[in-house]
Amino acid sequence: MPLFKSPKLVKLEENMQDQLREHMTDEEAFSLAKFDEKEVERVGYSNYSYWRSTFQVFRKNKIASFLVYLVLAILLFTFVQPYLPNQRDPFIANNDTVSGKPLRNIQPGEKGFIFGTNSIGQDLWSRLWAATRTSLIIAISVAAIEALVGILAGVLWGYVKACDLIFTELYNILDNIPSSLVLILVSYMLTPGIGTIIFAMSITRWIGMARFIRNQIVIIRDREYNLASRCLGTGTFTIIFRNLLPYLVSVIMLRVALAIPEAIGSEVFITYIGLGLPATTPSLGNLINLGRQLMLSPNLRYQLIYPTVILSIVTIAFYVVGNAFSDAADPKNHR
Amino acid sequence: MEQQDIILSVKDLNVKFNLRGKVLNAIRGVSLDVYKGESLCIVGESGCGKSVLNKNFIGLLDKNGWVDSGSIMYYGMEQPTDLAHMKKDKDWLKIRGEEICMILQDPMTSLNPLKTIGKQIAEAVELHQHLHGAALKQKVIQILADVGIPEPEKRYKQFPHEFSGGMRQRVVIAIAIACNPKILICDEPTTALDVTIQAQILDLIKELKVKYGLTIIFITHDLGVVANVADRIAVMYAGDIVEIGMVNEVFYDPKHPYTWALLSSLPQLGVKGQELYSIKGTPPNLFKKVEGDAFAPRNPQALKIDFVELPPYFEVTPTHKARTWLLDPRAPKVNPPEHFKNIRSIRKLRQQGGAANGQ
Amino acid sequence: MVKYMSKRLLRSLVTVFIIVSTVFILMRQLPLDGFLPNVDKMSQEQIKNSLALLGLDKPIHVQLGNFWKQLILHGDLGTSYVYRNNVATMKVLSTKIPLSVKLGTMAILLGLLLGLPLGILMAKHKNKFPDHLGTVFIVFIEAVPAAVYYLFIQLYGTELFGLSLLFREGDWRTWILPVFSLSLPDIIYFAMWIRRYTVDESTKDYVQLARIKGMSEQKILYRHVFRNAFVPMVQYLPSSFLNTVVGSIYIESLYAVPGMGGLLIDVVKKQDNNMVQAIVMLFSIVGIIGLVLGDLMMVLLDPRISFVTKGGRR
Repeated sequence: MPLFKSPKLVKLEENMQDQLREHMTDEEAFSLAKFDEKEVERVGYSNYSYWRSTFQVFRKNKIASFLVYLVLAILLFTFVQPYLPNQRDPFIANNDTVSGKPLRNIQPGEKGFIFGTNSIGQDLWSRLWAATRTSLIIAISVAAIEALVGILAGVLWGYVKACDLIFTELYNILDNIPSSLVLILVSYMLTPGIGTIIFAMSITRWIGMARFIRNQIVIIRDREYNLASRCLGTGTFTIIFRNLLPYLVSVIMLRVALAIPEAIGSEVFITYIGLGLPATTPSLGNLINLGRQLMLSPNLRYQLIYPTVILSIVTIAFYVVGNAFSDAADPKNHR
Repeated sequence: MEQQDIILSVKDLNVKFNLRGKVLNAIRGVSLDVYKGESLCIVGESGCGKSVLNKNFIGLLDKNGWVDSGSIMYYGMEQPTDLAHMKKDKDWLKIRGEEICMILQDPMTSLNPLKTIGKQIAEAVELHQHLHGAALKQKVIQILADVGIPEPEKRYKQFPHEFSGGMRQRVVIAIAIACNPKILICDEPTTALDVTIQAQILDLIKELKVKYGLTIIFITHDLGVVANVADRIAVMYAGDIVEIGMVNEVFYDPKHPYTWALLSSLPQLGVKGQELYSIKGTPPNLFKKVEGDAFAPRNPQALKIDFVELPPYFEVTPTHKARTWLLDPRAPKVNPPEHFKNIRSIRKLRQQGGAANGQ
Repeated sequence: MVKYMSKRLLRSLVTVFIIVSTVFILMRQLPLDGFLPNVDKMSQEQIKNSLALLGLDKPIHVQLGNFWKQLILHGDLGTSYVYRNNVATMKVLSTKIPLSVKLGTMAILLGLLLGLPLGILMAKHKNKFPDHLGTVFIVFIEAVPAAVYYLFIQLYGTELFGLSLLFREGDWRTWILPVFSLSLPDIIYFAMWIRRYTVDESTKDYVQLARIKGMSEQKILYRHVFRNAFVPMVQYLPSSFLNTVVGSIYIESLYAVPGMGGLLIDVVKKQDNNMVQAIVMLFSIVGIIGLVLGDLMMVLLDPRISFVTKGGRR
């Protein structure tokens, strides 16, 4: 027997009610009605679906919805850009076809360079997208490693009692160490490069994720509704899927989304100190650092402005979307 | 009772809520008179609307709720005021505390953990009795003694976490008394407390009612508490009052099938070895319009007309009425359920006080 | 409470010990350029001698032991060989620390001065224009890396206000941009948290009771909501302290402030291991002290934590 009445059925019943009233005699009206126990036990309402509500609330946030599309567009473009027609190689110094001299510091829009060129003559447009690619790859890798290692560690931490003590002490120590310093130290010690940066950033982030996961597991595992589920005989897999996962997913999504701007920020930071990627590899950090030196000359400023604008858009977008999704995933906001 | 004795009069009140884009009709045409100096108990299941109703009396309805129609006339001040249409906070400040005060359910969270309880009571006294300095402190200590807190001078400086649950509830009551209200609303004040403490708190409330001449509105789902405290009972179901009358009348001569069901659910009426009685089904979905008697689908004694038309109130005595077609002269004679005969033994409940699980 | 605090202190000491020792050991795995400025010009013999002189040829645990002995008995954090010639790191640091402290303290004060009122304003007008405006501000500062908005500030600060980029201790006008830039993350931090706590408090039961008592919204805000929201704020003071320390690494080099942060960048460039070691250690210790202080303040301000209640009831 279906749990919910379809709207058509309800309408039919309402019509029947009206007819009854008009045609019942007093005698009929005041006779005992049939008592249907099964009918009574039918659940009245609640077509609540967690994920549907989550997406509904998220969509209501116009800004976040817009930014999701923006982020996807930028991501897509970043990786598609090299295959578009008329794109230049980001590494080649372009020379003037007539004089053979390098086309240094060309203004944006001139001579067919959309964003201009830098002091060596490299096309800033393709360089910028290459830089965004690099920075995004670093950021996404960091987020992915943080998620994988963090979740694994967190689950172990939460479920295996023996691990609890070790991990907790480890956390207490690591938490007190400023991540920037670890970043500096690791980059100082290893050769600067993409791998180093990813490694350094991942070290500092995974334990934060692990702790979140572990806390949720411990709380949720022992919370009444899980005990209730277990009492009712629900399988472990189902418990994890329907009770634990929705809440965990929103927490994980938030951390992953925020990891991106933070990773990009760390890359810029470490480049600034001199421990970043080699100057030849285009990355947002490198471009900004180079552009910084030209900040004071108004006509060369564009070499700073374009990278910072793209970086700002990307970081703000991820930050807003991450927070908005996390808010939407909170059942308390499903009003 | 004459008209002058009514201190609060609710007429055809309809309260609605906006929930997930749909409209919920939480209070469906409630009419209720509260007489000065009485103890009125509003009983009902969780979700029947008792708390919502009372929130309207102090203007603390949730932001997504509103009064759709009807009125709440308060006669305690010089001019009768319609509380249902008061929107401004400024107006409510004259009512809250001063005229009508409320005690909440959970004493753990009702008190500010970072302020001494003396300070918290003093705030109320300052606002409503306009005392300051030494006189203020004296008054607070006196109130603390009134609610039965030993060593009030010492306790004055202590923080909420230094009090036990029952003591905390006494402090909350002290705050309410300090406001000097005419009406005191108690929203399930004993639900969060131990059974043994419950009786003490109820006795305290009764004492204070006499001492300060209060009118008390009690909200509860615990019939044992009702038996202990109430002069009159109003039984609520699905946002409507289905039966109202003096305590004895409703307990010994209930007329509405829901009241039967409610009373039947008392574990004390259970016979050893047999299944305990429970009401089948769940309360109706108030997002949809209710046709007829809201309780009809769950009522084994429902008449066909119960599904079709809302019954009016039928008077059983001048003080006792119920909203059921069974009281209509055209209705067949229906007897209350079998186990009901044991209800006379409920007398013991009244004598033992609010111990819902008492013997 | 004493038990709790002593446990906390012990843990911090252990953390400091581990961090410092780890940094020490790690540093000694690095190429010798960090210790011997001219190692590529030296012969094997010379290298061996130099290492012996510096005590770098001994087994690592002996070195570590010596280091701690030196530190605790003499307050000696090692010697700089590359950045400066044979000068005690402490000496180098001591010339730079005071300025950084001044800068940092001013930044935090400004952060409190501007951040708290901002957060309270936002909470008071939740979901209305001031809240939205503040949120835009916060999102920008939170999402965009500090390095980037520091640049914006520097750029428009000089363009629009004609403020100098070069810091001079005596000229108060050169303090404005660095202090303001440094304080921005703090402003945001404080605003965000006080807003959150204020909003949280507003939904608590005892606020409802205060309303029932007949208190005006204004009074409730100040006497109950804000008072309660401030208490957990205290624990964020030390974190902001740490953030400021890290931020100063940027700011000082952007404005050529001769402080600790700029020093770090220099010694990294010059590859002076002992200096890097010393600065990292110092920063870590400062950070940890800050966190412990934060805990201590929380304990002092929240009456629930201070007292040992009967039977552990909260």
